[in-house]
Amino acid sequence: MSKRSRLILILVVLAVCFAFLWPTVKWYYLTPPEDQALALGSRERIKDYARNMAVADLRELKEAAKADSSDPVAAKYDVLVAEAKKSYRIMKKDVPETWTARPLVASFSSEMEVLLLLENRYREHILSIKKTQASAVKLGLDLSGGMSIIIKADLDRAAESQKDSISDMGAFRAEAMSQALESINSRIDRFGLSEPVIRQQGVDRIYIEIPGTADSDRINSIIMGRGMLAFHMVDDEATQRFMDYYTRNPASTFDAEYNLLDESIIPPDTRLLGLYRKDSYGLDERAGFLVIRQDVALEGRHIQSAESRRDEMGRPVVNFILDGEGTRIFADLTANNVNKRLAIVSDNKIRSNAVINEPIPGGSVQISGFSAEEAENLRAVLRTAWLNVPLELENQQIIGASMGEEAINQGMWALACGLAAVLLFLLLYYQGAGINALVAQVLNLYILFSVLSALNLTLTLPSIAGMILTIGMAVDANVVIFERIKDELRLKKGRQAAIASGFDHAFWAIMDANITTFIAAVFLSQLGSGPIRGFAYSLAIGVVSSVFTALFVSRLIFDFGTDVLKSKKLLISWRIK
Amino acid sequence: MKKAIKFSRIFLPLSLASIAVIVSGIFGLQTVGINLGIDFQAGFIGKVRIAPPAVELTYTGSRSITVDQSATAINLIMTGIGSDNETLRYPYTQYETVGDFERAVASIPGIQVTVRAPASYPLAALFTDSGSIARLSAHPYRFHYIPDGSAGISSDEIRQAISRFPSAAVQVLGRPENQAFQIRLRDDGSDPNASMNLRDGLAEALSAAFGEENIVLISTDFVGSQFSKTLASQAVWLVLGTLVLIMAYATIRFRWDFALGAILAIVHDALMMVAFIVWTQMEFNSLTIAAILTIIGYSINDTVVVFDRIRENMKLHPELSIVEHLDLSQTEVLSRTIITTVTTMLAVLSLFVFTTGDMKAFALALLVGMVSGVYSTIFIAGAFISFVSRFRKDGGRIREKVVAPKASDGALV
Repeated sequence: MSKRSRLILILVVLAVCFAFLWPTVKWYYLTPPEDQALALGSRERIKDYARNMAVADLRELKEAAKADSSDPVAAKYDVLVAEAKKSYRIMKKDVPETWTARPLVASFSSEMEVLLLLENRYREHILSIKKTQASAVKLGLDLSGGMSIIIKADLDRAAESQKDSISDMGAFRAEAMSQALESINSRIDRFGLSEPVIRQQGVDRIYIEIPGTADSDRINSIIMGRGMLAFHMVDDEATQRFMDYYTRNPASTFDAEYNLLDESIIPPDTRLLGLYRKDSYGLDERAGFLVIRQDVALEGRHIQSAESRRDEMGRPVVNFILDGEGTRIFADLTANNVNKRLAIVSDNKIRSNAVINEPIPGGSVQISGFSAEEAENLRAVLRTAWLNVPLELENQQIIGASMGEEAINQGMWALACGLAAVLLFLLLYYQGAGINALVAQVLNLYILFSVLSALNLTLTLPSIAGMILTIGMAVDANVVIFERIKDELRLKKGRQAAIASGFDHAFWAIMDANITTFIAAVFLSQLGSGPIRGFAYSLAIGVVSSVFTALFVSRLIFDFGTDVLKSKKLLISWRIK
Repeated sequence: MKKAIKFSRIFLPLSLASIAVIVSGIFGLQTVGINLGIDFQAGFIGKVRIAPPAVELTYTGSRSITVDQSATAINLIMTGIGSDNETLRYPYTQYETVGDFERAVASIPGIQVTVRAPASYPLAALFTDSGSIARLSAHPYRFHYIPDGSAGISSDEIRQAISRFPSAAVQVLGRPENQAFQIRLRDDGSDPNASMNLRDGLAEALSAAFGEENIVLISTDFVGSQFSKTLASQAVWLVLGTLVLIMAYATIRFRWDFALGAILAIVHDALMMVAFIVWTQMEFNSLTIAAILTIIGYSINDTVVVFDRIRENMKLHPELSIVEHLDLSQTEVLSRTIITTVTTMLAVLSLFVFTTGDMKAFALALLVGMVSGVYSTIFIAGAFISFVSRFRKDGGRIREKVVAPKASDGALV
């Protein structure tokens, strides 16, 4: 490869690495903590935040318009101003120099339009920060503090309890597992302090990671507690009263966790719960609020089976069958509450609500009025009523945030001082050539970090261990080359020849050593778990990048000295002049 | 050609010494046993401090306020409706005492502050409970402190308080005046709900003895009996699998006796580390596995570089015996071996100096492994190859492979 193309290759690699690394820099150093806190919240929380802020802004703007304030509007309304300018131009009116509240409000046809624009602005802002966070290097719990949990879903016991009705065992296990995951997902995202990681591990294990601090008792009870499915009557009158109140006082109705600040706005024997739908990501999204009667109308345990299908008209419906006792309760309930609404509640979320059209005495219930997807979601919710997947806590770890911070500080100091000591030693020992090793080392760590960032890997203490080994390996590659060059210089070769044959001779030693390590690292990264995996990933990446920096970067610096600086000699040892 | 150092002369005594150390390690493993960390021994480890609350914060309002205590400041991160999103910073340099902090925070609308520590108590010395949610609510969020001049609680008192767990082991963490303790409970696998019962039982017992608000959680770790078995067996299989792969590659690139020598050197290093871990009674946890894996990777690197030189020298000087080759090549790459090891050790040494606890132990294990790695490259792998070469017909000498000419190169038609 020619020197020019080698230089271009190196520059391309450095540029790509910078692009990988940029989100990390942006997230950790350029994002203020309050934005970080918002972006770490769940999507639901972000949506609530955007809506609330928009409502407050709109109210402020309307008040200013009413008072006919002559002050120009604040910068947070820029998005409205831009839109207003557009419509002014379309109407061929003169666009005012400065915008005050009244003409700005007047240029929109509806309040909703303004609200949506404002809400979008807030949401886009936070979501873009969230996106940055998603592509930044994440700190493992051992560095950031937080809680990690591994839960085993006992699929065998779940299968045993249902053994009469299972036709396809594989499908049943997959379904039971997805139910366990789903119920944990829906229970845990209510915390919303920062978004948890929930993923399936192996066949029957679920891994949960909640960064930051978390109340272990509450989380345990939520994860391990059995989901309770129940039917409640909706109090339509109280719901209407609540909605009126909420529209009047959007900012002071709830606290940050959506508990009512003033309990007295709903009747004492009722509860206020959110009505949830699945959004396009399959995540729960709150579509509104309903006030329901506190007493249970029908317990979920009476449901015997549920299926989703299409009725004669081709509309999606969900059918469920009740047991004997359930049939009696439901018959009475429906006879007494015709034209009232019934809510299906699971894990403190209203999953669906339907109007009772007529008394249902037979114990076979049909709910309609939604899309096929919603029908399927509802069926999955109803299934939790009789299919119980026992969960077992296998591993739980809580690490204090202060411990994490201490670990980061220590790790950073160790890495910095270690690197400094290594570089100083190389400079002292190899003199001028030490600079090559120095540049190669720094680039090596840079590439390593950026690839970790690109692959969305988590930085943990074992992966820092892998980096230290990488420093060792990268030093070794340089040392092997330098020692070879020295040998060649002792044979009285000139600078260029010594460098060329030094690199040639060292090539296979470096390749063999690194390929063996790479094989081991890839093997461990594919089969290992937890700490082993983190270590193996950073080792595997480090091996590749150290070969690259030793063979390409270091060589290029030597050649630069030879060709551009016209150096005839090579300063690589105290003894060889 | 350099004058070769006769490493081979001391192959035999050093091999015997190595075997002795390894055997002593295995003997120790059988008698003393390994100090298994929580990863490998089912149970519950809780680190707690017993300290009264110093400052309590409660908040009622529609905003979301989270507390973040760092090494330099206490931050209150405020988001949501009410006013602009902002972070209020209270650096310890500016707000030196609890009293300063109280005055500053009390003016925030919706926040109530209760101070229980003397107002002159340094703010930087406060600490928080890792088990409580950092978002302010009507439930008090507490900062704790260690009162000056109090006698404190001894580990015996803790033992007394949790006497209902016969398997409990209590250890003082750091200096006694920190009032930090590590409590370890066993899980024998008989209770399917061990995680909850151990945790709740411990919390109850401590609360009953010292008061609920005085218990400050640092960290907890629960490992179920099933999980610990999986991790341990996985680690062993992974190491064995790695060795097989390394062996396969080395056989293809070099020769089977070289490959086996390299594997032997690695196994030697791993066993040396085990002996060290056994005799120092260092805790064996998942970081220790990482350390052993690191050394395996490092040691193979060393060994392969030497082999590479031997292969090259065999082509240059086919007249030499294998032992002479070993000595010559080792001598030639000796400076490389030393420099690489010294530099890498500098990095690990810095890790050893700056870190505490598990990481420090990890660095120490690495240092031991690195020394062993260099030693095994020079002596153990060499000793094995020279030993095998006695039984080889060619005395271990390399011959250029004669490539048989192809029967026909094909004919041009």
